[in-house]
Amino acid sequence: MSVRLLALAVAFAASAGAAGAQDVDRTLPSQLSAPTRATLERLIDSARVAGLPVDPLYSKVREGVFRSAEEPRLIAAVQRLTRDLGDARAALGDSAGAEEIAAGANALRAGLHSADLSRLRESRGRRADHPLTVALVVLADLATRGVPPAMAAASVNELVARNVSDGSLLSFRQNVERDLVGGRSPASALDARTRAMIDDERRRP
Amino acid sequence: MSEPDSPRWLDEIAGELRREVPVRPAWRARLLDEVARAPKPSMRDDVDHRLDERARYADRPRWSVTFGPLGSLAAATLLVALGAGATYLAMSRAGANASQRSAQTTAAREGSPQLVSDAPPSAEREVVRFELSAPRASHVALVGSFNEWNPVATPLSRDPASGKWVVSLLLPPGRHVYAFVVDGDVKTDPSAPRAADNDFGSPNSVVFVSSPRV
Repeated sequence: MSVRLLALAVAFAASAGAAGAQDVDRTLPSQLSAPTRATLERLIDSARVAGLPVDPLYSKVREGVFRSAEEPRLIAAVQRLTRDLGDARAALGDSAGAEEIAAGANALRAGLHSADLSRLRESRGRRADHPLTVALVVLADLATRGVPPAMAAASVNELVARNVSDGSLLSFRQNVERDLVGGRSPASALDARTRAMIDDERRRP
Repeated sequence: MSEPDSPRWLDEIAGELRREVPVRPAWRARLLDEVARAPKPSMRDDVDHRLDERARYADRPRWSVTFGPLGSLAAATLLVALGAGATYLAMSRAGANASQRSAQTTAAREGSPQLVSDAPPSAEREVVRFELSAPRASHVALVGSFNEWNPVATPLSRDPASGKWVVSLLLPPGRHVYAFVVDGDVKTDPSAPRAADNDFGSPNSVVFVSSPRV
C-alpha cells in the first residue's frame, strides 16, 4: 500500500465526519430539454453577473422539475424570481446578504412594495451582523395569510424599529396566525399582537 | 554620433570602443564556416533535452513506504477505526444537537419561536427536526432547497410516542424552502411560515436557521 493511497484513505475517513452536509447543486437537471437548459443557463449567468444570489434560482428549477412543471412555466418562474431578486437587492441596498435578498424577493412576491423593504432596512440600519431575513420571512408569511401587505409592513417595521429580536418576531407571526385561524380579522389580529409585543418589549429590563 | 551635452573626451572613448576589432580574414572565414556547419537547434532537440532531464529526475530515489501483508492489514484496520471514530463523533454531535432542538420544539408549542436555531457559536450546521401530524398517511417525505427537491432523499418515519411523522436534518444557516410529500401530494408545514412564491400549484414553507454569529 503506497503512502499516497494511505493519505487518500485517511482523507476519506476524516471526511466521514462531515456526513450529512448538503450544499446546493449548481447544475441543471438532465430531464430538461437542451433549449430550456440553454435559456436557464443564460438567465442564471446574467443573474450571477449582476451579483444576485443564484442558489434560489437553481432551487426553483429543481422545484419545477420535482413538480413536473411544463418547461415554459419553469422558465417564467425563474425569470420572475430573477427580477424579484434584482428588485429586492435594489430596495435593500448593496450591503444586503444573499439570504436577505432571497427573503426580500419572496416578500415582494407576497405583495409588498420595494418601498416597504427600503423602510425596513432604514429601521434596522445597515448592520451586517443583524440581517433582516427573519423580518422579511414574517412579512411575507403574514401577507400570504391574508393580512393586507401595507398593514403587515407597518407592524413589522414598528417592531424592527424597536429592535425586537428575531425569536420574538417569529412568536408574533405565530400568534397572529393563531388569531386568524381562530376567526379574528387580519387587521384586528395584527393590531392586537403588535401592541402586545411592544408592551412586552417595554416591560423587558 | 555624440550626445549634444557630453564632453569631448567621452565621445573619444566611446568612438574607440565602437571601433571594429581587426580580425584576420582567414580566421573570420573559418569561424563563419564552423557556424554554418553546426546543426540548427530544433524543437525536437529541446523536447529531447527536457525528456532527458525528466528521466534523470525520475531516476532519483523517491520517498516511499511499502507495507507487507500484515502491515497492510494493520493499516486497513487503522483506517476503519479512524472512519468509525469520525462517524461516531459526528453522530454524537448530531444527537446532542437533536436533543437540544427537540427541547426547543417542545418550548415552541408553548409560544416560543419554532424552527429557529439557537445553536452555540461553534456550530456550523444545525439539527432541525421536522414533524407532521398525518395519522392516515402511509408515506411522508420531505422535499426542499436543502435536498434538491428530491422526493426519495428524505423520508419521514412515524414517531411511536407521538404518532407524528418526524425527521431531523443537519441544515446550514439560512432560509430554506420546503414542503412535505404525503402519499404523493405536496403539503405545506402547518406550523411554519409560508413562502409566497407559489409558482407551481401549491405554496411552500420556510424554515430559518440562524447564523451562529447572530
